[in-house]
Amino acid sequence: MSQDTFFDDNTNPSSLENAYGIRAKVIGVGGAGISLVDGMRFDNFDSVDNVIIDVDMKAVSESLSSQKISFSKRHTRGMGTGGDVALGKRLAEEEKDKIRNQLEGVDLVFLLAGLGGGIGGGAAPVIARLAREHGALVFAFTPMPFSWEKSRHIQAEECLNELRVHANAVVPLPNDSLLQMGGEDASALECFAEAGRNVSRGISAICNLVFKKGMIDVDFSYLRKVFSARAGRTLFGYGKGEGQDALRESLRDLMVCPMLHMPDVSKAADVLMIFIQGGTSLSMSGLQSVSKEIRDAFKAGEEVVFGAHVDENMGDQVKITVLGATSLEPLIKPADVAPVSQQVLELSSQPKQSHKSKLDLGPAKEPASPAKAKRFGRSKREENHDQNTFPFMEAHNQRGIFDDLPKRNLYEGEDLDVPSYLRRGVKIAI
Amino acid sequence: MSKIIGAVEIGTSVAKVLIGEVSEDKSLNIVGKSLRKNEGMRKGEIVDFRKTASSVHSALEEAEKMSGTTVDSIYLAQTGSHLKGSLLRGSANVASPDGRVSLDDLKSAAAEAKRKQSAPGRSYVHHVRMPIRLDGRPVEDPVGMIGRNVEVSYWSIEGDESAIRMNLDIAHQYSLDVEDLILSSIASATLVAGPDLRRAGVLVIDIGAGVTDIVLYQAGNIVFTTVIPVGGDHLTGDLSMGLRVLEPYAEELKLEYGKAQPDSSDSDHELWIIGNKTIGDRKIPRKAIADIIHVRTVELFEIISKELGPLLQAGELGAGVLLTGGTSRLPGIEQLASKVLGVPVSKATFPAGLGNQLAQAENSTVLGLLHYGLEDHRLPGEHNPKESSGIFKKIGGFLGI
Repeated sequence: MSQDTFFDDNTNPSSLENAYGIRAKVIGVGGAGISLVDGMRFDNFDSVDNVIIDVDMKAVSESLSSQKISFSKRHTRGMGTGGDVALGKRLAEEEKDKIRNQLEGVDLVFLLAGLGGGIGGGAAPVIARLAREHGALVFAFTPMPFSWEKSRHIQAEECLNELRVHANAVVPLPNDSLLQMGGEDASALECFAEAGRNVSRGISAICNLVFKKGMIDVDFSYLRKVFSARAGRTLFGYGKGEGQDALRESLRDLMVCPMLHMPDVSKAADVLMIFIQGGTSLSMSGLQSVSKEIRDAFKAGEEVVFGAHVDENMGDQVKITVLGATSLEPLIKPADVAPVSQQVLELSSQPKQSHKSKLDLGPAKEPASPAKAKRFGRSKREENHDQNTFPFMEAHNQRGIFDDLPKRNLYEGEDLDVPSYLRRGVKIAI
Repeated sequence: MSKIIGAVEIGTSVAKVLIGEVSEDKSLNIVGKSLRKNEGMRKGEIVDFRKTASSVHSALEEAEKMSGTTVDSIYLAQTGSHLKGSLLRGSANVASPDGRVSLDDLKSAAAEAKRKQSAPGRSYVHHVRMPIRLDGRPVEDPVGMIGRNVEVSYWSIEGDESAIRMNLDIAHQYSLDVEDLILSSIASATLVAGPDLRRAGVLVIDIGAGVTDIVLYQAGNIVFTTVIPVGGDHLTGDLSMGLRVLEPYAEELKLEYGKAQPDSSDSDHELWIIGNKTIGDRKIPRKAIADIIHVRTVELFEIISKELGPLLQAGELGAGVLLTGGTSRLPGIEQLASKVLGVPVSKATFPAGLGNQLAQAENSTVLGLLHYGLEDHRLPGEHNPKESSGIFKKIGGFLGI
């Protein structure tokens, strides 16, 4: 599936209807952000605009985007910032009004910015802040430099932390992971295109959810409520399946999605959006069991947005997209809950750093001692193991193995706790 | 009367306790041993004090029960990347008018060497004595010799005070005195590299679950120690992420199929992750496991090579490089290490006379602690040489060195 046709795939013209009056805007910031925007097509969403922002005149003029903001030439004589984040930030602050104009009446902002650059890293947090001030929901997708670009990588991480303060959810797209995407002999170009498709997938899923009528719809205000907390880490993944068992196939594909197996990706979500698209054969019971498994896998709390759309053109294909975030603000759980959600609730209220436990290795192993199981709040889950669960994705081990440690294991600017194959760019074919 | 000594290693994956009995005829018996899984530690540092303390205490309890005795004091291994080694020197002019060196001269030189204060929040863990120099010449025991100036130097290891404090607290909570804190790498080397090897020059690399402990000996003396915060858990973590499986499965795959270097037998060979045909199980190519481990292992030895810098010279390493620690069991790791480091590397062997159960790579630190506890590390003249050599001979006989 090419990037260009991605949106078309999801489009059933009869369902194209935007009764909500909601406006979304895709904002590409800096070089990487612009090329992501240019790689996308927005034809099928009347209410989705895009705008690109940069200081590099050449990049701005070459962009295909219809709306453009170019920062003042005063500081750089129309060239780039040379990776100067402070300058990027200053330029954005100086042009606040231009940016505010673009944000007028916008409810949903998709911010695409490469955080390794001066504009991307410096201006993106400012723009996210302005958008939040305008009351918009801000989702950011941010390509991150390779970890061997040491100082640039460290700078990008600082920008990421700043952006997280302002945006509702930030999905980092580490360049390290590019190699793990695509086929075995994928070229660099294909890998970058794949990364672009990931962004399209995310935006498309959210837009479909918000703008189109489907089988199970989600109100925008509900989405806003769920993602209103300040986001910590995020998770973003997708899977697709085909044929008789398409739903299950797509769940399996989701669980091994490379985007979910990156350092820094949250393995648990306090808020979670699940979006399933499929042909007419999509069954209610199937949707229910798959969504339950996804919720379990990501230890979702009650803040779950679930949407499902039926598209006749999809035949026997199914696609699943998930977007989740850990909340930086502790959620207060109400005392009485429906029995169905009890397990989920019980789990999410437990501390999440229980991954070091080697006690319960799944169904094949001896049962965990009752005391331990109780401590981790997992006894109930243990009993409920049936053939449909994915034991190798079981929840207790969902955080990266060194994830809970307070400080990074830095050696010559590289974090040694991040798998070597990712940092060294070695493709692992699985 | 026989003497009971205890050795405790609080390892990242396992807490280990050994109890040794030195009987009146100066022979050593290991009378108690116990291993307990430790879940409170990451990369050689305590992150959950209570969990760690309870595994150490229950290991102590079991070892004491097994031995039928109680332990009063222990030798405690220290690791963690917060530990840094440096050379401290002290010298003193010979005080007596006839120019004969006295023990007091040595003591004041030693005091001067150790006088250097550690930075706030840091404290010294371990002072390892280097050869004494009399007017610049290395001498075994200068007491009674004639000269003007004696120099005593130490390879001193300092570390984060609170991390060390926590280790001591675990012992104190069990009402144990800590006889000495010993760097894990030195403990391991004491066991696997005997005096002959240390004289010839040897690099001992102990790759544990959480960290890699390194000690380099040249001409019988320690010239370098370091702790690299990478160990077997990193292999597991990398596999878990790379194969997209849970950590326990990754750990099993590592132990069963892991090797340092992919080879031709790996291609087209697929494995089930769980292997019991559970729904959701899937196949992965065996090559992926070897690839992931290979990259990490190469990187580890590259870091070791960088850390050693010019100290890593084949000419200075007569006895080559010895690998020990649990992760050194990885098949093919010595060939890979040799390729990266450019010097001969072999897996460390144990002195004869230890049971098979104990003589395993992952036990070299805790065994080394007992051994270290029996060696003499005082200044010459501070002890009765006869008695010391007696113990040493008997123990040496037992451990086969």
